[in-house]
Amino acid sequence: MNIKTWAPSTLALALTVSSIGIAQAKSEDSVTVYSSRKEHLIKPLFVSFTKDTGIKVMYLTGKSGALIERLKLEGKNTKADMFMTVDAGNLWYAATQGLFQAVQTQTLESNIPSHLRDPKGLWTGLSVRARTIVYSTERVNPTDLSTYENLADSKWAGRLCLRTSKKIYTKSLVASMIYHHSKNRAGDIISGWVNNLAAIPNAKDSHIMNAIVSGQCDVGLVNTYYFARLIAQNPNVPLKLFWANQDTTGVHVNVSGAGVIKYAPNTKGAIKLLEWLSSAKAQAIYASLNKEYPANQNVASDEVVSSWGLFKQDKMNLAQTGILQADAVKLMQIKGYR
Amino acid sequence: MLSVNHLSIVYQTTQVLSEFDLSLATGDIFALTGDSGSGKSSALRFIAGLDEAQSGRVILDGKQLSNNGVHNIAPELREIGMVFQDYALFPHMNIKKNIAFGIHYLSNNKQKARIEELLLMIGLEGVEKKYPHQLSGGEQQRVALARALAPSPKLLLLDEPFSSLDKSLQEQLVLQVRDILKKTNVTSILVTHDKREATIFADKVGMIENKQLTIN
Amino acid sequence: MPIFVVALSWLFTERELWAHFSTVLLPNLISATMVLLIGVGLGVTLLGTLLAYLVVMVEFPGRRWLEWALFLPFAIPAYVLAFVYLGVFDYSGYVQVWMREVLGLPGFDIRTGPWAIILTFVLVFYPYVYMMVRASFKRQKINIIEAGQLLGASPLRVFFKISLPMARPAVAAGLLVTLMETLADFGVVSLFNFDTFTTAIYSAWGDFRSIEVAAQLASLLVLVAFFLIFFEKKARGQAKYYSNDVSNKKPYYVLGFVGWLISLFVFCVFMLSFAMPMLQLIIWGWASMGEEWSVKYVDLIISTSVLTTLAALITVSIATILALPSRCKRNSPWLKSLISMATLGYALPGSIMAVGLLYGINQVSAISVYFGGQSINHIIFGSIALLLFAYVSRFMAIGYSSIKASAEQIKPVFTQSARLLGASYLRLIWKIYLPMMMPGVLAGGLLVAVDVMKELPATYLLRPFGWDTLAVQVYELSAEGLFERAAIPALIMVLFGAVLMLIFQLLDQKSSKNL
Ligand SMILES: Nc1ncnc2c1ncn2[C@@H]1O[C@H](COP(=O)(O)OP(=O)(O)O)[C@@H](O)[C@H]1O
Ligand SMILES: [Mg+2]
Repeated sequence: MNIKTWAPSTLALALTVSSIGIAQAKSEDSVTVYSSRKEHLIKPLFVSFTKDTGIKVMYLTGKSGALIERLKLEGKNTKADMFMTVDAGNLWYAATQGLFQAVQTQTLESNIPSHLRDPKGLWTGLSVRARTIVYSTERVNPTDLSTYENLADSKWAGRLCLRTSKKIYTKSLVASMIYHHSKNRAGDIISGWVNNLAAIPNAKDSHIMNAIVSGQCDVGLVNTYYFARLIAQNPNVPLKLFWANQDTTGVHVNVSGAGVIKYAPNTKGAIKLLEWLSSAKAQAIYASLNKEYPANQNVASDEVVSSWGLFKQDKMNLAQTGILQADAVKLMQIKGYR
Repeated sequence: MLSVNHLSIVYQTTQVLSEFDLSLATGDIFALTGDSGSGKSSALRFIAGLDEAQSGRVILDGKQLSNNGVHNIAPELREIGMVFQDYALFPHMNIKKNIAFGIHYLSNNKQKARIEELLLMIGLEGVEKKYPHQLSGGEQQRVALARALAPSPKLLLLDEPFSSLDKSLQEQLVLQVRDILKKTNVTSILVTHDKREATIFADKVGMIENKQLTIN
Repeated sequence: MPIFVVALSWLFTERELWAHFSTVLLPNLISATMVLLIGVGLGVTLLGTLLAYLVVMVEFPGRRWLEWALFLPFAIPAYVLAFVYLGVFDYSGYVQVWMREVLGLPGFDIRTGPWAIILTFVLVFYPYVYMMVRASFKRQKINIIEAGQLLGASPLRVFFKISLPMARPAVAAGLLVTLMETLADFGVVSLFNFDTFTTAIYSAWGDFRSIEVAAQLASLLVLVAFFLIFFEKKARGQAKYYSNDVSNKKPYYVLGFVGWLISLFVFCVFMLSFAMPMLQLIIWGWASMGEEWSVKYVDLIISTSVLTTLAALITVSIATILALPSRCKRNSPWLKSLISMATLGYALPGSIMAVGLLYGINQVSAISVYFGGQSINHIIFGSIALLLFAYVSRFMAIGYSSIKASAEQIKPVFTQSARLLGASYLRLIWKIYLPMMMPGVLAGGLLVAVDVMKELPATYLLRPFGWDTLAVQVYELSAEGLFERAAIPALIMVLFGAVLMLIFQLLDQKSSKNL
């Protein structure tokens, strides 16, 4: 039976191959990135960075929570120089776990506005994403729309579609409700939303938009880049974005961003990469790859994105999304928001 | 040559055999009869070293194989051959490989010669490449016999080898197997519940009555 | 080891959070999980057994290729199928749009109630039962069935009185695997937004950063798995059925109208569980071919192949050793509980298992550092050994149950005659057990290989640099809503699975020809 004789030798071979991978990762002129931002959104940037600087970038993608656990366990022996993720709550949590080192350079300070950076410089926002109201142009009069809170009003009964409470975007939005109001008031808003739901909360933003198009519901909440993707496929889709809370707190925004690992083998390279990512050249690619808003205010948004006009952003300190996340989830679980 | 003494077998609470004794000389063909469930197979399985017993000793050719119901020598080292009721030919091996199984330590040429000799003896030349399921019941039974005889065991045990064959085939095969055993001069025990078969086949016939052996 | 870590969690409770979980979430979760398990269990048993019976016992038009085709859905990851089903059948899907516009029926949310998700799971997981029961039916002697027929039993009576009871161990084994897979699922339940134990475990870990409560919940899950294994043992009963005649002769020939009806039914199952989702994937894949296809797929395919092959080989080797019939009458109870422990991993969600592993290794490191040694974390994390270990722990159950089923078919009389012919234990294993277990070993290897190929959470967390697999690629693209592009790696996976099954089919025919 060759199973038995082959297995050990193949295993040994595979282990050797994988340890060669490690050896490469340790070389001086390369930076290693753990990223929960998906490969197709970061690879073009890294390729361009290597072209500009000659520094190679190794990356490992994964889910945010899992990568944070892995970094914690790898501790001083980690090979990672940078951790990149979406949602300020995740960045905040990584910072509280002591994964990052403070990085404050002139380049970063001039490229990225301070409210998108950690006060101590532990992490830096690299793109801005807005979550706002999307509505059916056939069945909704935009003058009826105003705020996130207003979607809890009974006039939207049976007309609302929301994303699942298990998604980080929903958690951050609810965290902002708790921050701006109180737990009680936020709880009432959630109950109102749940009562108005036309369908069980959806797993994906794209499902919400499909549901509105097909008439299952009339309004919903989505991240704007999903809307951008939809109109790229179907320019005539009878949906429009509405900037929420313009007369009150502003549109709920979040960031994707990165921080330099405390025990980075190549801190210098990591800082260089971070600065490069904040540069005008990189920011244009970074934001437009995913139709987000650049964090660098000197860089113009993508054409489609700018066509939706300017809007007032919620200026809540983004660390709050992290601090209040557990409360937000508890509240949603109690109010039966699936 | 073979002596079995004080064999007692108890399953859970029922005593099957009690103080069973048997001795045979070299070349003896012995038939063991008795009602169904009287403990014939149990006795054979103990002699073969497959099951343990409450008490009992087996001496074969001067070697003590078992004592006090416990086996000193494992089945594979006992030099005892056995033919089962449902033949138990290995389904994934052809006839040649089945017969060669017990004599793999011989050189290829010697194996081949031995197999040919045995097939000739059982009257089944040319079936080497066939698989068991391609043979009839009687043919399979004869192959099982050849397989058991291949390593030239000191003792051959046959547990109702003819009972799943039809009547006419039975008669014919009983005589044929008897001839083969006589030719090879191997000491044998045949278990059967058929008294007629026992008398045709064996030199000596014994019967289990009241948990013990009585020789007629 | 992960199980051990999970069990230890009860020592370190976080009372307040545990109270929140046990009052707010648990009551609903328990009933929802039960409903899901019962529904899926009934569904796969009925569908899997019926299909297996039809293809093995009945000759009907198109049987030969349908028998093979019914395996194929197994190559599609569950979450991909769920995604396609939602796209096709939910409110905004083709089917409901057509029903509203042409038939004027009202639309509805198919995610309401457990029906849609149960049906999805049934269509995704029936191949487990189908595969195991089919093998068992194939081993049933045709003359037993014929004896039943001659005694005047109707086909239905033969099925319920003869075929089904004889296949009971296989049904139980397939059912066990299905239910454990259902318990561990995260992808399908997320898409349907259906809350189960697994959802709660993720919430405890992801939202409240409480490994302890997550582990406590996971230990409840393991408890459920424990009961399932126990019931499976009961269901198998004491009976052992030995039979080694395989015949391609079918007891029942149904041509004519009924035969076509049967064909139609089997074909519908095939359409729904494979052809329709494939069509959707091909449409998507076609649209994004130029954008998505690149040389990186060579790497993806290589790493997927290497991981799949190694994991399957290791798992099958260990499972075979565990499943070998013991030479003595009874396995020691110690060995039995070891085996039960080894197979429990299947009910744990992949990422919980992976995190449990990481923690376990960290503890080992801590001990090593304490005694002046070195931390082993970075060494272990950087190699595929850890990932392989996770695969082996997670998929041991499925390899084992398939191999065990075939080991149980070996009549003791073969062991006995081989021993009386002078065979040592090693020779017995080599010449008798392994060849006779080979169909089960192959089936187990195939199941494990396909499962490893589809595995996402543990791979995603534990893989070293450069070991991205096709499943990771599918996830990364679909998580960003790029379904068209995700169809490409998904299609390659299915192709991959189909090739594996083809290889299996060939080996299986060869190895079981004379068994
Ligand atoms: N493994 C066993 N466990 C319990 N009882 C057994 C076992 N094997 C045989 N018996 C019982 O012992 C008795 C003798 O069996 P056996 O030796 O097979 O009889 P025979 O071969 O003479 O028909 C029977 O009553 C049978 O039921
Ligand atoms: Mg008997």
